[in-house]
Amino acid sequence: MAAGAILEIRGLAKRFRARAPGAESPWIIRDLSFSVREGELLTIVGPSGAGKTTLLNMIAQTDTASGGEVRFRAQVAPLGDAKALRPGLSRQIGYITQDDNLLPWRTCLGNVLFPLEVQGRLDGQTRARAQSLVEAVGLAGFENHYPHELSGGMRKRTSLIRTLVYDPPVILMDEPFGAVDAQTRALLQADLLRLWGEGRKTIVFVTHDIAEAIALGDRTLVLSRAPASVKSEHLISIPRPRDIGGILTRPEFVTLYQAIRAEVA
Amino acid sequence: MARRSEVETGGAVPAPAAQRRSQRLDQALELVFLLALWQVLSLWLGTYWISSPLATLAGLFRGLASGELLLHASYTAGEAAIGFLVGGIPAAALPFALRRMPVMTAILDPFMVGGYGAPKLALAPLFILWFGIGIESKVALVGVTVFFIVYFSTLSGIRALDTRLVQMAQVMDANEHAVARHIVFPGAVPYIFTGLRIAMPYSIGGAVIAELISANRGLGYLVQLRAMNYDTTGIFVALAATTCIVFLGNWLVNALERFLLRWRPPADAMLQADA
Amino acid sequence: MSALEQASLVESAPGMNRRRLLVMAGRIGLAALLVLAWQVAADTAGDLYFPQPLAVARRIAEDTASGALPWNTYVTLRLSVIGFLLGCAAGILVPFLLRLSPRLTGAVEPYIMASVGVPKYALIPLFILWFGIDDAPKLWLIGLLVFYVVFIAVFAGIRNVDARLVTMARVLGASESVISRRVIWKSLTPFFFAALKIALPRAVSAAIIGEFLVGNAGLGFVIENSRQQVDSTGVFTGILVATALVLAINAVLERADRRVNAWRPVDRHMEI
Ligand SMILES: Nc1ncnc2c1ncn2[C@@H]1O[C@H](COP(=O)(O)OP(=O)(O)OP(=O)(O)O)[C@@H](O)[C@H]1O
Ligand SMILES: [Mg+2]
Repeated sequence: MAAGAILEIRGLAKRFRARAPGAESPWIIRDLSFSVREGELLTIVGPSGAGKTTLLNMIAQTDTASGGEVRFRAQVAPLGDAKALRPGLSRQIGYITQDDNLLPWRTCLGNVLFPLEVQGRLDGQTRARAQSLVEAVGLAGFENHYPHELSGGMRKRTSLIRTLVYDPPVILMDEPFGAVDAQTRALLQADLLRLWGEGRKTIVFVTHDIAEAIALGDRTLVLSRAPASVKSEHLISIPRPRDIGGILTRPEFVTLYQAIRAEVA
Repeated sequence: MARRSEVETGGAVPAPAAQRRSQRLDQALELVFLLALWQVLSLWLGTYWISSPLATLAGLFRGLASGELLLHASYTAGEAAIGFLVGGIPAAALPFALRRMPVMTAILDPFMVGGYGAPKLALAPLFILWFGIGIESKVALVGVTVFFIVYFSTLSGIRALDTRLVQMAQVMDANEHAVARHIVFPGAVPYIFTGLRIAMPYSIGGAVIAELISANRGLGYLVQLRAMNYDTTGIFVALAATTCIVFLGNWLVNALERFLLRWRPPADAMLQADA
Repeated sequence: MSALEQASLVESAPGMNRRRLLVMAGRIGLAALLVLAWQVAADTAGDLYFPQPLAVARRIAEDTASGALPWNTYVTLRLSVIGFLLGCAAGILVPFLLRLSPRLTGAVEPYIMASVGVPKYALIPLFILWFGIDDAPKLWLIGLLVFYVVFIAVFAGIRNVDARLVTMARVLGASESVISRRVIWKSLTPFFFAALKIALPRAVSAAIIGEFLVGNAGLGFVIENSRQQVDSTGVFTGILVATALVLAINAVLERADRRVNAWRPVDRHMEI
């Protein structure tokens, strides 16, 4: 295991069950390897359908790998056997999925409190933390709204802080800002950087927006088209704290952007 | 941060106000027309055949004032309500118990389908034979009728479970019990209510049929008794009272549903109510 | 992920087969258990409440041989079918008449929908008073029950017909009656089948309940008459035959529907 790596992926492979018996199903992911350091913000870009969501599902242990190894600290995810999976590895890995997956029967605040409630950790202190997170992402005043009464961006923010509230050391994010307009997106990105700066979590952030990947990440991985593997790796040395708005015109940014752009196309 | 100061709750496009008003007017005119027709018919054919609207209304008030109607109505409503609970609660609970037992569910399936399709009202004489002419036989009939309807609607609710929500909860370290309580159950509630809404008229219908066949109280008994005395107005009054109970029951279920399912977007709720 | 899906994802072909065998065995076992329970109940509770299964089987055989059971079944079926046809005719006709005037539809439809709440079975004594004690009151009951099911389905179906199709037909110079026949009726058939599947079994139960209360033949009469004579064997016999009859009708309709509508995607809003 590489020094300081909290998460290590080695030769990972995935294919789904064939639709018809006897038929061959294609490899979605093949021979994919990388590792994530503690406290790092790793971004992953790749074309749509490359297998990014599938990769995060295997790291979060909501799906099984067909081959290779996913290692979190010393724990290796089981291969093939869905029943042996431990989703979230006892709340060590948080996962903000591509769809917001809010519970429609709970209010905004109710959704944020949900993990605390099921973990039996809901008390005055954690409740206050939830409230401060709600305020930090600008949802104050909407605590009692049901998901269908929130805008798409508000739902995204709710799902974001729902994971932050229980403070898992590693957080996987699957295009968390995918379906929002450019301005809201910039605000959410700034929020994320600020929250990450305070807490220094390990974050694996999937997106297909190259600019976002560069603006947020310490390092960016580029995935190839299916069967996905790591096509290239870019260290991003733009100093922090970063100004999301101003970064776009910096020369380092432009160089990186063009390099990655050429690889993804 | 982009915020929306107000939240839209309106759904469907409403009909133009003028059109709606003229429709209301048509409906009101028709109501007057129907009542007039009814009155004329009763005058023409005589109250032996058809009671007049006025006589029915008067009878309704007389029955209410003397307490007789309320007494019988409360028996019928009570039978229906108890049967509704006796049949509905196990029917809603069973699919939850069977959630982790696909083989058991499959074994039960043909029996449940058979029970669902069987003419349960035909069991009325059997229940009277077993339990006598009191409330027990009515409760049994209502319970059996309600059971199969609610069982299948609850089962479909559990089958429609959004597995992504379950995975989300599992990632957050929710145990089996928490998943059942916070995700499976709330997700199934709309389906349970669909079953309850369908079952409601059946429960009152079942109670009334059992009373028609053999009873010594209840609205069905009242209809039968008055038919034997050729008291047409009396029959009309009892029928009106029965209809009122059905409406009351529907209203109760709908009100409870609206309260429990206030998290649903209104358009969705409207679709459900229409179905 | 539910256990069902998990199992279906993980299990391989031989596992599936084993499961199917297990289910089959379980069903047979459960059926045997039910019969056994009946036997035990008969032995403990006595003939008055639970007739011996064998006695019921013997009664079914005897009454079939003597022709009484087939005759009573025929009476019930005939009544159901006539009442069903009457109710169907009205249930189809009224929406098509209403279609001629949207204003009429707006005025009449809410009343018809509101009257759905009237408990139809409670009308039987009134029907007996009005129409005598022959088949007429029962036919009214069956017809009325069927009417509502068919009316609601056909009405919803007409609303659902693609308005563009109708306009196109009009532009092409089709008359109203041709539109009714060709365009609307065509798109209505799935709705109509859905209604049929509900209404036909319901017609049979309505006939049986009508026979409880009036008349001297039919399966309903057999059941209720046996009860009045405290003949539990007769009650069981009648109920078993009635249940078998309705379930058989269900099965036939199910199969026909699957054959006719096999290509159609399932539309859950069509459920009534
Ligand atoms: N449950 C499944 N069964 C079969 N194939 C699947 C399943 N889930 C995903 N796939 C396939 O795996 C491939 C990768 O899907 P995945 O959702 O991981 O892509 P993605 O990189 O997240 O794309 P996007 O950027 O559009 O979200 C796709 O070709 C998809 O069709
Ligand atoms: Mg994805």
